[in-house]
Order: sequence, then structure tokens, then C-alpha cells
Amino acid sequence: MPEGQGGIRKMIAPAKKKRSGTSEKTGAVLVIGGGIAGIQAALDLAELGQKVYLLESSPAIGGNMARLDKTFPTNDCSMCILSPKIVECGRHLNIETITWAQLEEVSGSAGNFQVKIRKRARYVDMEKCTGCGECAEVCPVTVASKFEAKIGDRKAIFRPYPQAYPNTFVIDKTGKSPCRVGCPAGININGYIALTAARKYEEALNIILETVPLPGVLGRVCDHPCELECHLGCGKEPVSICAIKRFLADYQRNNGQPKKTVKRHQQELAKVAIIGSGPAGLTAARELARKGYRPVIFEALSKPGGMLAWGIPDYRLPSDILEQEIQDVLDEGVELICNTTFGLDITLEQLRQQDFEAVILALGAQAGSKMGLEGEQLENVVDCIAFLREVNSGRKIEVGKHVTIIGGGNSAIDSARSALRLGAKQVTIVYRRSRTEMPAIPDEIETAEREGVKIFYLAAPERLSGKDGKVSSMECIRMKLGAPDESGRRRPVKIPGSEFTIETDMVIPAIGQKVILPDGDDLKGIEQTRWGTINTDPADTSTNLDGVFAIGDAVTGPQSVIKAIAQGRIAAQAIDCYLRGANFEPLVIPHREDITPEPPDAESFSRILPRQHQEELSVAESISSFDEVEHGLTQEQARTEAQRCLKCAVCSECMACVEACKAEAICQDQRDVIEQIDVGSIIVLPGFEEFLAGQKYDYGYSRYDDVVSSIQFERILSASGPFAGHVQRPSDGKTPKRIAFLQCVGSRDISCRNGYCSSVCCMYAIKEAVIAKEHLKDVDVTVFFMDMRAFGKDFDKYYERAKAEYGVKFIRARVSDINQKNGSDSLVVQYSPQSGCVAQDEFDLVVLSVGLEPMADSSALVKKLGVRLEPNGFIWSEPLNPLRTSKPGVFVGGAASGPKDIPETVTQASATASEASQLLADVRNTLTTKREFPPEIDVSNLPPRIGVFVCHCGINIGSVVDVPVTAEYAKSLPYVVYAEDNLYTCSQDAQDHIREMIAKYKLNRVVVASCSPRTHEPLFQQTLREAGLNPHLFEMANIRDQCSWVHMNQAEQATNKAKSLVRMAVAKVAPTEPLQTASLDVTPLALVIGGGLAGMTAALGIADQGFEVTLVERQKQLGGNLRNLRSTFAEPNVQAYLAHLQEHVQKHKNIAVYTGTELESIEGFVGNFQSTLKTDSKETKIEHGAIIVATGGNEHKPDEYLYGRDKRVVTQLELEDLLSRQEPLSGVNTAVFIQCVGSREEEHMYCSRVCCSTAINNALKIKELSPETEVYVLYRDIRTYGFNEQYFQTARDKGVIFVRYEADNKPKVTGRDKLKLTVREPLLDCELLLEPDLLVLSSRINPDSDNEKLAQLLKVPVNEDRFFLEAHVKLRPVEFATEGIFVAGLAHSPKSMPETIAQAKAAASKACIIISQDKFEGEAKIAKVDINRCSACGICTEVCAYKAVEVILVDERLGTKAAFVNPALCKGCGTCCAICRSGAIDVEGISNHQIDLMIKAI
Amino acid sequence: MEKIESKNLDAQFKYDVAAHPGGENIKLCFACGTCTAGCPVSAVDPEFNPRKIIRQVLLGMRKEVLSSPVIWRCVQCYSCTVKCPQNVKFRNVTKALREMAVTEGYADADLLQEVEQLDEFSQKLRRDLVNALITDRDKFKKLKNKAEEITNA
Repeated sequence: MPEGQGGIRKMIAPAKKKRSGTSEKTGAVLVIGGGIAGIQAALDLAELGQKVYLLESSPAIGGNMARLDKTFPTNDCSMCILSPKIVECGRHLNIETITWAQLEEVSGSAGNFQVKIRKRARYVDMEKCTGCGECAEVCPVTVASKFEAKIGDRKAIFRPYPQAYPNTFVIDKTGKSPCRVGCPAGININGYIALTAARKYEEALNIILETVPLPGVLGRVCDHPCELECHLGCGKEPVSICAIKRFLADYQRNNGQPKKTVKRHQQELAKVAIIGSGPAGLTAARELARKGYRPVIFEALSKPGGMLAWGIPDYRLPSDILEQEIQDVLDEGVELICNTTFGLDITLEQLRQQDFEAVILALGAQAGSKMGLEGEQLENVVDCIAFLREVNSGRKIEVGKHVTIIGGGNSAIDSARSALRLGAKQVTIVYRRSRTEMPAIPDEIETAEREGVKIFYLAAPERLSGKDGKVSSMECIRMKLGAPDESGRRRPVKIPGSEFTIETDMVIPAIGQKVILPDGDDLKGIEQTRWGTINTDPADTSTNLDGVFAIGDAVTGPQSVIKAIAQGRIAAQAIDCYLRGANFEPLVIPHREDITPEPPDAESFSRILPRQHQEELSVAESISSFDEVEHGLTQEQARTEAQRCLKCAVCSECMACVEACKAEAICQDQRDVIEQIDVGSIIVLPGFEEFLAGQKYDYGYSRYDDVVSSIQFERILSASGPFAGHVQRPSDGKTPKRIAFLQCVGSRDISCRNGYCSSVCCMYAIKEAVIAKEHLKDVDVTVFFMDMRAFGKDFDKYYERAKAEYGVKFIRARVSDINQKNGSDSLVVQYSPQSGCVAQDEFDLVVLSVGLEPMADSSALVKKLGVRLEPNGFIWSEPLNPLRTSKPGVFVGGAASGPKDIPETVTQASATASEASQLLADVRNTLTTKREFPPEIDVSNLPPRIGVFVCHCGINIGSVVDVPVTAEYAKSLPYVVYAEDNLYTCSQDAQDHIREMIAKYKLNRVVVASCSPRTHEPLFQQTLREAGLNPHLFEMANIRDQCSWVHMNQAEQATNKAKSLVRMAVAKVAPTEPLQTASLDVTPLALVIGGGLAGMTAALGIADQGFEVTLVERQKQLGGNLRNLRSTFAEPNVQAYLAHLQEHVQKHKNIAVYTGTELESIEGFVGNFQSTLKTDSKETKIEHGAIIVATGGNEHKPDEYLYGRDKRVVTQLELEDLLSRQEPLSGVNTAVFIQCVGSREEEHMYCSRVCCSTAINNALKIKELSPETEVYVLYRDIRTYGFNEQYFQTARDKGVIFVRYEADNKPKVTGRDKLKLTVREPLLDCELLLEPDLLVLSSRINPDSDNEKLAQLLKVPVNEDRFFLEAHVKLRPVEFATEGIFVAGLAHSPKSMPETIAQAKAAASKACIIISQDKFEGEAKIAKVDINRCSACGICTEVCAYKAVEVILVDERLGTKAAFVNPALCKGCGTCCAICRSGAIDVEGISNHQIDLMIKAI
Repeated sequence: MEKIESKNLDAQFKYDVAAHPGGENIKLCFACGTCTAGCPVSAVDPEFNPRKIIRQVLLGMRKEVLSSPVIWRCVQCYSCTVKCPQNVKFRNVTKALREMAVTEGYADADLLQEVEQLDEFSQKLRRDLVNALITDRDKFKKLKNKAEEITNA
């Protein structure tokens, strides 16, 4: 892993050791989950001085946010805003990112946990992998990508997305595929199947040949037990593995491809004799030859092959195929001597004399068994071995007219089919059991029957009768099946009196084969079994005679070819060990327990095509000759067949990646590793999983291709998605004209056990609808919803814009069914409109807005952590402190504790950091490290000496751009004193090399021509610093993304362009000067403005982390709005909570409270603020390093609905007050609530977020106090997001009536002695007349009236609703663009108590990051003003988002003014340079002059 | 526009239905309309609108609901029940409403029985029509015409 770590890693020892006597806590935190929450928490904690372990179960951090296209409500590209965070996190010295890993075990307690982590085998060396991606290019295994929500693919070796950190690949291996385990020889079947599917036939064949010889033979005659294991066999036909093998062998033979030469040992080792040239002997011989031995095969007959040559007829295995494949074996260094009978022509003794050091007996079972029947000696009774040997001899032989075969094995079938071909008129097989027990290959039996062979099942011969010494008839008896015998098959039992007779003139018994050992003394003393076979140790094939091994049918009795081959392999291995004098090391063959539990993509099962069948000769053609019957699969068929494979083990272990990886990073034999780490706290942020839409059958997901989930649609929209951002239907690629969105799929639905609201779907659906509209101008988009929950900051504006500007249609209805119309490809959506009955609309594409669910493995995680779950399966957290789990020291945040959007997740992440940092405050900086660099070499007066390093990036650049030529060219450029090309310039050894070259050639500027500076510049800059150079004396030329990738097919022009890019970089770097950052002291104190819930919580958060806080409150008392609240869902007794909080704040030694105090003025900048506080007339001056704005908001006093004119009309807060009094509801028969009073209207187009929940809470309170009171809630959308949905349900259950009204037809209230309220009831389409005794208005939340004044004082912005505007609504929710100032609570936007608390803690975390540093380091590349040119017009001060520029007096005597850039605040964005009319501002390191030079160099 | 005055509403009605076997979950309804959208009766009879019936119950329109002929039109197929996200079980609600209509004198017991027999009869009719459709087209046309004659009358 080249990124993130420098060549020299100088870690200085922790500054502070554990102080004795203070604590035993560990200054490290485990963050579980590498999504945006985990990344944010890790960054905050690392900045707060804690060592962080970031644990992620997938191969890369980034989480769900990396999968999103855009984010609402700003339509920012999700990846663009996320990836800088990913890079920052990945490179942080004190964050150890552990991906592809799981939590195993947790012990210990808060402050001191011991955690075991399982690092899953990645099969890729992270130190070596450079992320070039060549491996994935060659990988033949394609599976559905989870990252792409299964509408896109990935390879078995993959990284989830291109910007991933770590930028290294991982191999997805889930075990061994069942086929491979089913193969007795352990051939890597899924390997060659995968390669066949990828048209890599030669490589595929090599995989077979690696394990076994004779592929063409096996492809024809193997009984393929592998196919029985194939997962496809459950429900479909298995992959035709055997036929694919035959195709590969035939393809090579027909196309004459060069065979891979096998590396042999240099030295020839001992001689080994092999007796018998059947498949077992041939295999053993080949394996021994490959190991460097000199094998010699002795064969008794005239040609080699054993039963393959003499037992299997040509129509099944043509002799030329066999001969050639035997020749292939001999070509590997095997000697063959035919016509030499063991025991007769050569003896064991002679072999020993001839220096054979070991002997393998592979004699086979060459004699037919006798039946022991009367008449067996008659003429024309020929045992099948003898018969088939005659057939295979090529001699012309006569058969009878009526041939009868006895037996049910492959030899019986072969004899029968051969007899047909030799002219028999009728061929009958008599078999004593049923078809099920028949040992012959089922396909063979079928073919035999097709060819006209008649089979009598459950019949056995009793005696043979003859005429003239020749057989003429056979008497048989019927059998039935009894109990199973020792072979497991049911034993046949005769049925008395069922005898019958078959007329026959030739009988071929095929009832078994016997082993015949040589006569004489030769093998005297060898142990035999009671069946006459040779007795061996099955593990290593050794016999009782020293140096004598035995394999094949001679050991096992008649068996399959593949089993004989498997034994041959074992014998070779055993002999190798024996001759080396070593203990036997068994071959690595996958076992049954290694089988992968289930195929990776079970959903695609139903779409798998039927099995391909090879062409065959017609029956008439077949039986008229011995020509091969089966023709083999065509190339197209073989590929189609291979593509049916389910890829059970994902990685096929074809080793293509090993060969492709130039960095030699693949290590296929890696194992999982369990590591223990010690941490003081654990933060759980694993995120969520999307609801599996297939559970809602009526919506047709997975039945119809064009019904997609919202995350799939996100990928469809994404430019990096499977359709490259072209909005199209997955089924046919057509552009949709009508798109429907269905809300609440898997949310607010107790039928799928998800009663809660998923909080984010309304907004993401609107966003996806809007983006779809942006992609396709004419597309018609309809959103079907129940309540539009646009409750967040600026969400309602977005919703209104979607309607008005984009023309997205919104229909308030829950869809019941989606069906495809017969004969059409459009989808019919059925729903019930508000006033109406049933309606249908047609769409081309339907997007299901799926809800958020707890992580599938969260219950396992929770068990290990010892925390508890809430009823919906999310992690339980304290109602008012949503960051605390049930276990001290373990914190939670983000979607793990309930559905929430990105800003809230990020806020909670920072808040958890605050909690953990508070717990571990006294061990801060005990386990963190700092990088140390040598002093910088002064290059200021030296002429530039530039070094250029040009990267091949494996073949990413090198295969297009001529890299050596480019490097050579660089040498000719001005000031370049050294240039070279590297395979990977970013690799670890390359960094060492660059440093050496800097020293050797005294380089003082460096150019790297490789990839993107965004990912790699910091790495090279670090290398420069390690070499003693200022990191800004560096420039990168992106000759990959901007050259080799985009000009893949124009090598020559690409090389020219690469030269130009290098030339520009050299031109730019030459005049570059070293840059330094501003380093400023920091005042370790924070100022909190506002003493309400947010302010007090933030102050405590900072104070508990050990820093001083000044808390300023305008009112005489602390508490703010809390003083008016009585109860909320989260806290039934708000006043008690307030009293406790207030006391805590006032007694805290680190907090100075100023009540009745206003902020008078504020000066300075981050780390160094000076403020004046005014209490009555007294002024206090304080110095502080950070500011938190927590000025709150207030309930709007409405002027509608008779409020203020009729005392029966009250606001929610007034109702709370009323409800706390004695007998508050006497005489109230009807209470009516009106929602959205003053909210979500022009002028105030925002949702006040808490009113729905508050109203429901109060309605429930009324029902509790006075069940007789009828309560009506008049609403526009009920927005009880998240778990608050349950209270909406409870309210309905308690009898609260909810009536919806439209914004343009509000309720009307009149009244004197009785209030009269009229509202239109939309479902009945009528006027509803109510007479409320109490009318409660849910009035909007206003921002504080002084917000604008404070904003000016702090130079921070407010939005159009006068709430403070954060730096970035998604990822910087508590920060201002201006460094050192933060916001929390209602000052930011309306929010609930728990949300305010989380945000206040997040702000505390951010403030502590600033004030915990000894020094504040500014940016290096910042704007600089040339005061001679500056006209002090001040435009730059207006455009600066960071408020870093101001116009100051530069010459007091002359009174000249000029702009001044505060180096602590400037971010180097360059806006001021662009706007400056006199060209007086430049950003150092990217000056106009340098850009000019670059342009001129083109 | 029709007016509903709260003084004419019976707030107790919803509790009564909820107390009746089958009506337990009626108050959980959040008026999404899935029941109506997926209802085979609503598909052919716009007057039969389950969501509307529930709404009337919740508002307290006792007389209108119990005396209405529409509560007798449900074919008891459970479609609404399986699709409902709030487990309202409207099919059972109709059972409760029918029984209440009988008890409270809006309908007589015979009607209840006859409607149940009618369900059996209409299933038989459907069976015959389907059989005829497959085996004897002419017979089917005759049967259908006759049935249509009756329904149109």
C-alpha cells in the first residue's frame, strides 16, 4: 500500500506516557463502520489526540454514500464531496484503517476494552498492490456487484469503486465450488469453466492439464461425478462440465495451439517402473516425469491405454484421440515399452537390478468374472472383456443375430452397442436390479435404448442351453428388490415361478472384472484382499512390499477412469516422498467441508438458460459404424454452457491474476488473521441496509426488470454506474418516457415489520426525480406518496422547486399493485386517488423508494458488543443522548441507531467523537504519533535542478504511452538533470529510490508524471520532505487519467501528449519557491453564545474534555426554550432535566457562566479571538480560540385563526403550560389542532420539523387526561419521521382524528360564544364543521431576531430564513466556512431535543479540535497581495467565503490602504485573484506567472 | 358541497366498531387507499370504496354507514387485508359493520344470511360462466346475456 505511508517511517515515541496513578485508560478508539459516519468520527478523534482503528467489513471505506449519485438539497455530486474525506482519512497518520475485517470478540469495560478482529484473507498483498487494475482485466469471473446494487457487475478480484481507499484489490473467495470437491482428482473445474466463458480456451485447457492428463479422453468417457454436485442440479440441469472439457481438448487439437511447456526439474532423478499403461499408470508416469523422475511404463499388450484402448469402443472414444493424448504424456518424458508382460518378460527382481528404485503396479482388472451358470462353457458365450478387446483390436469379428448381455455396468452397455454395430439383429441386456441401481452412466443407457438395445430389468439368468455346442437360449427368472446390501443398493431376490426364456445365439456376460496377478514367484508375498485385489494403504497407495505401490483397478476392482487418474496422482506424490526419504505429504485436494455454502447470486438462478446438448449421429448412422456418436459442443455452445455456471466459489482460482500482476501482489494462499487491539472506547457506526424490495410481491420487484429499487436507480443515474449515467430501462436499454416513484416501500408498513418511517426516502426520491428530469428533459415523473416528509433544512424549498420548476408530479396515494400489461412492456400502477375510487397509470420504469433497515449482521455485532437493540432491530440509544448505548464506553450514531440522513449522521459521528474524547480526555495524545522530517535544505539561491519520474503504472500508462521515450525526452528539457521511468512510481521501493536520486543528483525540484495529484500528490510530497526538500517544490503531470486512458487507441499521439504534459509540469515547477505555512498560537478556551439546551450541552461537552468555556446568555437565567417545554417523546419531564443540566453547568469548574450578558464585539480569527462581553454596564474582555453559536429560536406568535383575540386559541407551548395546571381540560369536549401555522408558506418556506410530534404528544396527553375529549388534528403532511411514527399510530389508536387540509384551502375559524371551524374533508369531499372548545395552533419556529446582527459581528452567513448557514449542508453541518466558528441547535434550523443535543456535542467536538492544538497550521498555498498594485477597492473582501481578506491601513503616514490576507484563514481558493482588477493578488505556488509558463510550454 | 356537522357525528361509533370482533384495528387506518386500489369490487363499482367507509366510521357517521347498501357488497376476498400496511383488516371490518347493522336495526338478520348465500351463488354462477367459456361458447353468451339483462334491469 504505497499511499499513506512514507518510505522512512519515523515514529517518535508518544509525548506523554500513561501518568502513574491517574488512570489505566487506553488512548485509542475503535470505530466500527467505514461509511461517512465512521470516517468523520475517525477524523475527529484522531484530531482530538486519540489513536483510531477504523474497522470496515467491506474491502474499502466509503459506505453507502459512495454509491449515491447526487445529494439533496444541493445536488452536489456525492462522490466529489466524499472522496476528499476518504483520502484524508486514509492518509491520517493516527487512523489505522482495517478493511475486509470483522469484530470477533470484545472484553473489558469503558476506558479499557480488548477487541479481537478477524482480518479476512484478501489474497492480495496490500503492501505491493498499487491498484492498477490489471488483475480485474484478466479475471474471467463476473458476478453481480453489491456496490452497483446488482444491476452492474464486478470481477472476482475487485475493488468496489475506482476512488476506493485502500486502493487495493481483494479476491472474493467463499470456499470451494462443489464440482471441484466432487472431482476425485480435484481438478479446478470452476477455473476452466470460468476461462471458457471468457473465451480463454488455451488457459482453460492448461488448468485441466495441470492436474490430469488425457483431457480429450476424460471429456468423452468420464462418469463426471462433478456434475452430480453442481448447485444448478437443484432445480435445473447441472453444467455440462464433461462436455466442456472435451470441447477444450478438441479445440486445441483442431486449432493446433501451442501447448504450454511444462517446467521440468533440471536434474533427472531416479528411475521408476510402472506396470500397465492404463489411465492410472499414465497419470502416475506423467506426474513423476514432471517431478523430475525417469518413469518407464511396461505394457503387456501391443498398444498402450489399458481399458481405454481395449475396453472402450471407438464410437465412444476414437483411438486416434487416445493415441495422441498418450503421446502427449510420453512427450513429457515418459518411456513406454509394449509387449512386455510383467512376471513373464520382466520381473520385480530384474527391475531392481536395472536401477528402478520404485515400482507402481497398475495392472488393471483384465479378466471377466465367471457367472457359475450351467451352460457357461458353451460356444458363443464370451465374457465382455474378451469381447471388447476383440472389438478394439480392429479385427473383423462375427456376432450372433440375437445377442444377450448380462450385467448393468458400462461394459455391458459398451458390449451391447458394439454388438449392434457388428450386425446383431437384436441385442438384449438382462440386469437383475432396476434402472436406479444400474451402475452405467445414465446417458449411455439412454443412448443404448435409443439405438435399439432392449433392457430387461429385474431379471437374472438361471441357465444357458445350447444346440450343437453353441448357445441357443437363456432361461431367466424375475427378481424383486429386497433390503439394501453392503454396497447400499437393494439386494435382488428371486421371484419363484417367474421363469422365462430368451432365444439367443450369443451371450456376453458383463458381470464384473477380476484382477489377475502374474503367475510365478514374482509377487509372492504381496498382500491381497479377499476379492483378490492388491491390498494397499489408501492414503499413499503403498503395498506391503518396500518400494512397491499399486493403483487402479488392480487395487479397487473395476472403477471409473477419473478415480484411476486420481490414484495415479497420489502414487506419484507418494513415490516422490518415498524416494526423498520424506514423510508422505498428501496432495491438497478440496474436501466436502470446504464447499461454499451457497452460490453468490442465487437470485439469478431463475434466469439461467437450459443446458446445451451436443450434436449426435442419427441412430441409423450410429449403429452402422464405429464412428464417434457425439460431436462435441460447438464453440458457441461451450461458452453458453460455461456461462450457466453459478460461480459458487466466486474466485475460480484460475490464477490469471497471478500472471497479470506485475507487482507480484497476488497471494492466493493467504489466511484469515485474528488480531487483538486495546482501545478505551468503541464507536458503532455500521450504517444500514436497504429494504429488500422483493418482499413486497405486489410491486413486482425481481419479477419485472424495470421495477428497480431506489439505490439501483441511483446507480442508473450515476456517471460511474453500469449505464454510465444514461437513464435507461434495465430490460431493454430503452430510454423511459414515464417514470414512477413509489414511496414507503418497506417503511410505515407493519405487514413487513417496519412500522417506522425511514426519514430519508421522500427527499431522495424527489432528488432522483429531479435528476432524472435533468437527464431527460421530456420524461414524465410521478411520485406516489402518503405524507411528504421534507422536514429538514431547506427541504421544503427543494420539494416546491421539484413541483414548480421541474414539473415532477406528486400523487397522494399508496400503490396497491404493479403489473405488466399483456403484450406490452409498460408497467401498470394501480392506486386510489384522494377523491375517487380506483385509477391506473402506465409507466416505463418504476422506482421503489426502499426503506432503511438495520444491518443484517447487527444482531451478531450487538451480541459481541453487549449492547441492546430497540424494538425495530436498530441499536438502542438513550432517548435524550442518542449517542450512548446501553453499555458504558460504547457509543452509537448514524443509521445504526435509526434511519437518518447524511447531515444528521455526520453530526452524530462528530458527537460520538466528543463522547469518546470526553471519556478518554486524560489519556489524550498517549498513543498517537507524529511524523518527523529532516531539516529543509535551503534551495533559495540555487539554480533549479529538476528530476523527472515517469510512471508505467504497470501497463495502465505503459501499454499506450511510450514511457521510456517520454522519460528520455524529459532529459532534454531545461533544468532537468535527471529523468527515469518506473514500473510503479508510487510503490514503496520507488519512494526510497526517489530519495536516493534526490541526494545523488542534488535535485531541488521534482516532477512525477503518473496519475492524479488528488490521490497521490501527498505521498510524493512526503517523499520530498523525507529527502529534506520543501514539499511544494513538486509538480505532477497526470499522464494516466488525462492521457493513456482517454487516448487508448492513439499510442503515438498519446506519447506526444504525455511529453507535452511533462513539459508543462517542468515549466511550472522551475520557478517554484519553497512555501511555508503560518503557525499560530491557540488560546485553549471556547466561547459559547447562548445558554439554552444547545449552548449548555456544548459547553459541558467542551468542559468535560478538559478545556475552559465561557458561556454567555442574554437572559437572566439559563435554559432558553427549554423553560417553556413540559414534556416531549424523548423526555417526559423536561423541567427536571433542565434543572439538572443547569446545575451541572453552573457547578462545572471549567465553565464560566455570564447571564444577562450580551456579546458586544468580537475581533481576531481562529485560535485567537478577542471578545468583549457586556453585563449590564460592565464590560469583560476575554480571549478564546473557538466560538459556538447557539442562540436558539422561538415560537412564532401567529395572527391568524383568532389567535390573540380569543383566549380559547393557544399555541403548542401555551397548551403545554395549560396542561401542567390543575384540571386543564374541564369543559373541553372538542380540541382541534391546526398544523403548519406560519410554516411551509411563502416567506417562510420551511418545515418547523417538531410540530407534528409535539402536536401528537400533546394530543395524547389530552386523551390521557380526558379520554372523552374529541381531538382533531388538521394537517398538511404528518411528519413523524423515524421512530416517532409509532406515536402517530398510537394517537390514531387512541381515537385522535386526523384531517388533511390543502395549503390553498385552509381551515376557517369564526366564533363568539362558540368557536366554529370549517375544513374540507378531502376523502369524503365535504365540508366538516367543528366546534372546538380549545383550538391549538402549531406555530412555526422562528430564528432568533438577533441572528443577522450576530452574523455580521462574526462574519458568517445566514440563509434566507435567517437561520445560520453552515459551511456545507451535507458534510460540514456544524461548521462555518470561517475557521473556528461553529453552530448548534435552533440557531441552525428547527430540531428536536435529542437532535439539538447531538449537534451541540458535535460542535463541542469541533471546537475542541481547534483548542486542543498547541499551534494552528494554516494552508501553504495561500493568496498574497502585492501592495504596490492594490488599489484597496475591497472587492476581494466581499468575495472571500472564508472572510480571510480585509482592507487595512498599510502606511499610516501616507494613509495608504491595501488588502491583507490573513494566513490563518485563507484556503487558497483563488477567488480573490480572479476578481482582482489590478492583478494584485496571486496564490503562491500556483501564480499567474506559473500558469502562463505552462500555457506557453504547450 | 355537502356539509358534515360535528354535532351530528357520533364520536363513539369508532370505539364501538373497534370493540366489535373484526373491527379491532379500524382506528389504525392512515387513509393510504391501498385497500381501495387493490379491491376487485371497487374496480367495477366506484361506490364501493373501503377507504371512504373507514373514514365515515372514524368521523362518527353511524347512520350513514350502517344503513348504506355498500357495506353488503364486499366479496370477502381479503385482498384489502393482505395489502394493508397498518393491519386494519377491512374485510373483517365489513363483517363487524354488517353485524352491527343487524343488531342496531338498520338491516334484518335475513339479509345477513341471504348475502352470505348470495356469495355462494355468485361463485357458482362464475364457475358456470367459466366452464361455459371453455366448453361451449354459445352457452356462455346466452348465460352472460341473461346475467347482464338482470344486472342492467
